[in-house]
Amino acid sequence: MSSHREAPAISKDPVADNTDTYAFVSPDNPTTVTMIANYLPLEAPFGGPNFFEFGDDVLYEIHIDNNGDGYADITYQFTFETQVGDPNTFLYNTGTINSISDAAWNRKQFYSVARVAGGKSQWLGTNLPCPPCNVGPLSTPNYATLASEAINTLSGGRTVFAGQRLEGFYVDLGAIFDLGDLRPLEQLHVGSMLPAAPGVNATNDYSVHSIALQVPISDLTRGGVVPTNPAASNAVVGIWATASRKAAVIRERMTAKLLEVGEWVQVSRLGNPLFNEVIVPMGMKDVWNALAPAGDKQFLANVQQPELAGLLPILYPGYFDNLAAYTAARADLVAILLTGLPSGIVSGFQNYTGKTYADMLRLNVAIPPTVTDPNPLGLVAGDAAGFPNGRRVFDDVVTIELRAIAGLTIPLVDPTYVVDGAVSLVSDGLTDADATYLSQFPYLGTPQSGYQTAPLSTVS
Amino acid sequence: MSSTTRRAFVQNSAAAAAGMTALGAIVAAQADAETVGDSAPVVAYVKDARKGEITVMSGDRTVSVRDRQLAARLSKTVR
Repeated sequence: MSSHREAPAISKDPVADNTDTYAFVSPDNPTTVTMIANYLPLEAPFGGPNFFEFGDDVLYEIHIDNNGDGYADITYQFTFETQVGDPNTFLYNTGTINSISDAAWNRKQFYSVARVAGGKSQWLGTNLPCPPCNVGPLSTPNYATLASEAINTLSGGRTVFAGQRLEGFYVDLGAIFDLGDLRPLEQLHVGSMLPAAPGVNATNDYSVHSIALQVPISDLTRGGVVPTNPAASNAVVGIWATASRKAAVIRERMTAKLLEVGEWVQVSRLGNPLFNEVIVPMGMKDVWNALAPAGDKQFLANVQQPELAGLLPILYPGYFDNLAAYTAARADLVAILLTGLPSGIVSGFQNYTGKTYADMLRLNVAIPPTVTDPNPLGLVAGDAAGFPNGRRVFDDVVTIELRAIAGLTIPLVDPTYVVDGAVSLVSDGLTDADATYLSQFPYLGTPQSGYQTAPLSTVS
Repeated sequence: MSSTTRRAFVQNSAAAAAGMTALGAIVAAQADAETVGDSAPVVAYVKDARKGEITVMSGDRTVSVRDRQLAARLSKTVR
């Protein structure tokens, strides 16, 4: 998945597991940037009685590098506190929850937001309410309205939301993890006897927990400027999200009490989708999660010679011959994932942050959002407001990255390379029509209710 | 740590107890009063007693000290 359960250690700690990170110039408020950090993969909507929530013992952060060194210059920090109304009932809610302050909601969660820059920390908001999970029509009627009560306006023209959202990342997990058996290409797969078939969105109806923050562009850029020239170096910012836990945990016998002490230690991170999932080898995934992007030079060889590029010609024999014959280091993928694209490669576009190899979403804030008919294939389809220029909630990052690894973007750096004909067919068979979004903040859709969601079905 | 060994830790290691007090003093001296009060728990992590490196944690603070004798005494209590 994008980064759901992508590494051995964090797959056992879902509350701290970054699943997706988004960053884009807000289409309905283009003087601002919206950043969304998702956690808690694959929430089944009916997952009670202890419904999903953020970890009170986790530090959630969104980082911005605006000088290209792979370290954060600005960090937004989010810490949570759960408050139980009545500890003598097992109920999440003792009646209908008509507002987020309703006493019938027994397990409320609140959070604080701080902005750290230049070694100074500033509280942007404290005691901000989260919405409950979408339980069902008797418990959480009018859920969209209920959740909208948790959109908080902060000082400085900032807006924040933290709570359950509908999963916006769409992907055919069952097919991809079954030896890369992409259903639309099944008839070409070396091991499949099945005809081509549409994709199956494995994340359909699942939820995540989102931290969405919308800030003025000047909140992020070097010098606090609002760049208007896309070619300017200060128009590009690097963005990633993390989760951290305390260094030590002591469990008290018989009392169920935990003592968590020490400095915060990073246990999860996410910049570009699928980087740790697909690029980083198994033995280094947990280490990658603990690093700042500045340490990503050690993964340069994994980007230059990605394992998946070697597998495609084996899984689909005869259809990726040019890719199989291409032995040069993949400078196209290095640019897309680790440095940004310099000027001169894609006309009128750059998101280059310098020579430091660092996995970050790179957003050129001087490129206006595409308001009419944005293309979910982003930059490779001519829509410069989409991935890998940041990432919008509906961008089809699976198809973009699969095709890039399959060789679609090699001609950007090597015009003599001929792309294999099958590359244009590479897809897991899903589009943004397979998910649901909002046209305004926080952009990710309203989560399905537990009562109204059916368990998984079987497909042939 | 089992209850037996925990009892042994308390009863058989006055030196360790003194050490923990010393460690608490180190942290308390360097941490904000808001985050580390006198009664705040202190955790000491001896990664390698031979090197004498002790990581001391309380509240949000982590402090590294080098004290081979103290590290050896702490290590000895659980051997």
